[in-house]
Amino acid sequence: MTVSRRDLLKGAALAGAAAALPGGLVGPAAAQTTQKRELVVAQGGDISSLDPHMSTSSNDIRISFNIFDNLTSRRPDGKLVPALATEWKLQGQQAWAFKLRQGVKWHNGDPLTSADVKFSVDRTYDPAAKTRVSTVLTTIERIETPDATTVVIHTKKPDPLLPARLGFYAGQIVPKKYLESVGPDAFNQKPIGTGPVRFVSWTKDDRVVLDANGDYWGGKPDFDRLIIRALPEMAPRVGALLKGEVDIATQLPPDQGERVKSNPGTIVSGALYGGLYVLAVNSKVKPLDNPLVKQALSIAIDRDVIIKELWRGRGIVPSGPIAKGDNHFDASLPALAYNPKEARELLKKAGYKNEEIVIETTAAYMAGDKPMAEAIQAMWKDAGVNAKVEVFEYSVRAQKNRDKSFKGLWWSDPTSTLRDPDGMMWRLLGPGGPQDYWRHAEWDELGNAARFSVDEKFRGEAYKKMTKIFLEHLPWIPVIQPYEDNGLQKYVEWNPDPLQQLEIRRFNFKFRRA
Amino acid sequence: MRTFLRFFASRAGRAIVALWLVSTVVFVVMRLSGDPTPLLLPPDAPQREILRLRAELGLDRPLPVQYAVFLGNLARGDFGQSIRFKGSAMAVVTERLPATFELGLVSFAVAVIVAIPAGLLAAVYRNRLIDHLAMGVALVGQAAPTFFIGILFILLISVKAGLLPTSGRGDWRHLVLPAVTLGLFAMASIARLTRSAMLEVLRADYIRTARAKGLAELLVVVKHTLRNAAIPIITITGLQFGGLLAGAVVTETVFAWPGIGRLAIQSIYNRDYPVVQCVVLLSAALFVVINLAIDAVYGLLDPRIRVR
Amino acid sequence: MDSSIPVSASADLTVVAASAKAGRRARRARWLTAGGVGFILLLVLMAVTAPWLAPHDPTRQSLRARLVAPTLDAADGRAHLMGTDHLGRDVLSRMMYGSRVSLLVGFSAVLVGGLVGSALGILAGFRGGWVDTAIMTVADAQLAFPFILLAIGIIAVLGPSFVTIVVVISLAGWVGYARILRSQVLGLRSREFVDAVHALGGSVLRIVWRHLVPNILSSIVVVATLELGRAIVLEATLSFLGLGIQPPTPSWGGMVQEGREYLDSAWWISTCPGLVLMAATIVVSRTGDWLRDLLDPTLRGE
Repeated sequence: MTVSRRDLLKGAALAGAAAALPGGLVGPAAAQTTQKRELVVAQGGDISSLDPHMSTSSNDIRISFNIFDNLTSRRPDGKLVPALATEWKLQGQQAWAFKLRQGVKWHNGDPLTSADVKFSVDRTYDPAAKTRVSTVLTTIERIETPDATTVVIHTKKPDPLLPARLGFYAGQIVPKKYLESVGPDAFNQKPIGTGPVRFVSWTKDDRVVLDANGDYWGGKPDFDRLIIRALPEMAPRVGALLKGEVDIATQLPPDQGERVKSNPGTIVSGALYGGLYVLAVNSKVKPLDNPLVKQALSIAIDRDVIIKELWRGRGIVPSGPIAKGDNHFDASLPALAYNPKEARELLKKAGYKNEEIVIETTAAYMAGDKPMAEAIQAMWKDAGVNAKVEVFEYSVRAQKNRDKSFKGLWWSDPTSTLRDPDGMMWRLLGPGGPQDYWRHAEWDELGNAARFSVDEKFRGEAYKKMTKIFLEHLPWIPVIQPYEDNGLQKYVEWNPDPLQQLEIRRFNFKFRRA
Repeated sequence: MRTFLRFFASRAGRAIVALWLVSTVVFVVMRLSGDPTPLLLPPDAPQREILRLRAELGLDRPLPVQYAVFLGNLARGDFGQSIRFKGSAMAVVTERLPATFELGLVSFAVAVIVAIPAGLLAAVYRNRLIDHLAMGVALVGQAAPTFFIGILFILLISVKAGLLPTSGRGDWRHLVLPAVTLGLFAMASIARLTRSAMLEVLRADYIRTARAKGLAELLVVVKHTLRNAAIPIITITGLQFGGLLAGAVVTETVFAWPGIGRLAIQSIYNRDYPVVQCVVLLSAALFVVINLAIDAVYGLLDPRIRVR
Repeated sequence: MDSSIPVSASADLTVVAASAKAGRRARRARWLTAGGVGFILLLVLMAVTAPWLAPHDPTRQSLRARLVAPTLDAADGRAHLMGTDHLGRDVLSRMMYGSRVSLLVGFSAVLVGGLVGSALGILAGFRGGWVDTAIMTVADAQLAFPFILLAIGIIAVLGPSFVTIVVVISLAGWVGYARILRSQVLGLRSREFVDAVHALGGSVLRIVWRHLVPNILSSIVVVATLELGRAIVLEATLSFLGLGIQPPTPSWGGMVQEGREYLDSAWWISTCPGLVLMAATIVVSRTGDWLRDLLDPTLRGE
């Protein structure tokens, strides 16, 4: 049968129309499905280290948790699940026994053994290794490896949270044989892990390229290649998302949410941050040594308006020092109040003599830092406080953090690493901790006891009491527990993580395919 | 020849002293700006860790000793190890150098290609529309703040018209706005100078003679005036090129261009002394060398200058 | 440009025409200069009267009226002719107060830089020899140093404050004064000139007073005006980089920086202060040019 010219043209038209179907219907910017095999993520900064024990910054965590696995893993929904360990249980009061998963291989083919686990954990607090996570696992006394698939960890005192400690930074397991043979510098250039992606290349200030690990014990991820791009400026990061150049853009400021939502191909997806944004207080400086002054400062902040206007509603008002989603979060506690009149009364009662109170803030280092500081200063001025804002760079902040020489208040975004008050309030505000500016005998006693108790009821009571003391003395003034938003292409199915982990394993990430 | 060599030697000597001054200033300023170690260690690292790191970086030795070491290394071309990145400071800088070179060369080329003809036309068609237009734009280009011009470009051309990307480095389309922004000042200066140099020459007698003889206007302009106007034009062109690197710092910040300007700012904030020292000295050296070359050319062409 | 006219006649005509044109040009230059100076005075006036003229308190926030477009009736019931910023502050009022920062810093820097630069220039010219070489080499070194990095470094050491910023900006400008004054002094030191004055019965002091100073004044005025323009730009650039006057005091550069995130939505936050900044620096620079044409054309070719 001969094909007439008309049939040919009709066929061509149909072929053209077919080529314009899903995947290319309205152009890449509005696709609901895709055939992509490459996942591109844009984050707000370049990585500083590929060695998981050498950094705790979120820009590094997004990658290190994917090149490496931990014994236990914290899912985006908050549950702690088996990862490299399939089960764990207490042996007596002071030892945890972990059973390792069988058949796990390093990216170079070597098998995972208990020797690797012992090596990794010991490394974190080994002074010779000079890691940046040396204080995380210090409850451990010694580690035994009775056989290749069993690890017994003895703690100095009863430590109910050990499995949780191993689930976050410092708990990434690194290969003993490989690391010892090439040395830490080479390891940092070419890391080897057991995770769902393996390292390919790192172009400084530009991108990290990772290939999917086809032999991953949790199943090969739904892509062949993962590219993490460093786009510190917000405009190009959002721009790249809107143009379809990246699939996920992290650290999306609330003011950009509308833009991303109204763009046909993209949506906003956020997780409630597993931590708090607080104004940390140098309680050694007058007049901040007076609890009444701090209470006045806290009650003079209109958190609702800050959340509604500066965060476009993307956050909740905290009720105390424990983040929502943590163990022992007391849902019955009221949100921190706003009452400027009471603030004035408290100031009078405190005998406040118009001393200068300074908020030292960075500019755009932490989300909303400078605008919130300025807004809070205005609110405090209205309540009769002689408030000042000073902007400093983060290198000055790091120095002051070390010297403990802050002039008054400064922004801090403590992370609840264990999803438990022990991992946030106690870790940071406890005696000898990084934010040790205030001590209270009863509070200290309770915190210590709660850390080492296996009785959850006792711990709950202790944290309730500590919260009450906290709200009276306010070593932190909690301001907001924000949603950390990301911009996604509509064809991405992915749940963001409250602890910024960028979970791309099969159970949490998928491209929506036609 | 002897006077020229003496002249050149004295200018070169001054240039070296100037470079030494630059290196001393950057050393002093960076050392005074603070300690980089708190940025490299976790906030709860014990004091002994800090001390150990400082010793490792050579920061615990007395300042004069550090300075001597610094100068000694400098003489060998060794800028030390970057404090923030692993690797030598020179390596860190050379990684980013191509980006700045690309931006600098393109913006310079654009500046020259636009400015010289514009200046010529403005001079030839003096007080006509093209003169007013060109000089108007030149005025804006010379006086207006670079960062705001960049922002304005981003707003009007990237955001509102959607014609070009807003920032970053990529294909040629990413180069357009930053190159024009960076080159605007040079473009304006060169155009204005070209115009005034041309005007001076156009007034000269021999030009009127040439015109009276009936030669084609264009030929007159090109052959006779350009040759005489060349010297000041080349001078200012060279000076602008030398200063381009300094101007790149702001442009790179506005357009998130990953070059050494941005690296320098980040390194100042990170207290990464070796990298800052490397960038400053490279930039200063470039400026000094270009100026020296211009002086040499002047010295060769105009004997009167050598005697000063 | 009529080439059919014989050369000699055209030369005469050209001279006549040229002097007439010069006369017109001079008159125009005087008018333009007056206009430019007038504009500067207006800016100063705005800066001084800002506390009375500004429609709102520049630091008054109104979180419910954030990012409002220029309007006569916003959510808080007031007019915002240039809109509000990300904290609900009135952009027009902030812009007016911002002029205080720009002008105060600018004039101070010009004063300090001018005094220091002139002193050094005169010193270099009078003493000559190694003093002169030393000062000029320092000038060379400074010009070779990428200035913005020096500024950032110094501010990182001393912390951003009004004094630091004035010091930094003065540092940027002193070389201009030094160079001009040095060449003026060198010119006046030339033997012929000194011999002539001596022959006419003058002393060194009289030379300085009656001949040096009038010449210097006009040069300084020209350079100072041009430097004022550059100082304003430099202050704005430093504020843009976050190193200028601290919040909540508004400054033009700082406002452009704050509005950068909102270019696609609330563009007025950056654009309004930026345009005013641009207009101010252009007029100031141009006035400097006109002043130069008027007072001392030999300064051309700078």
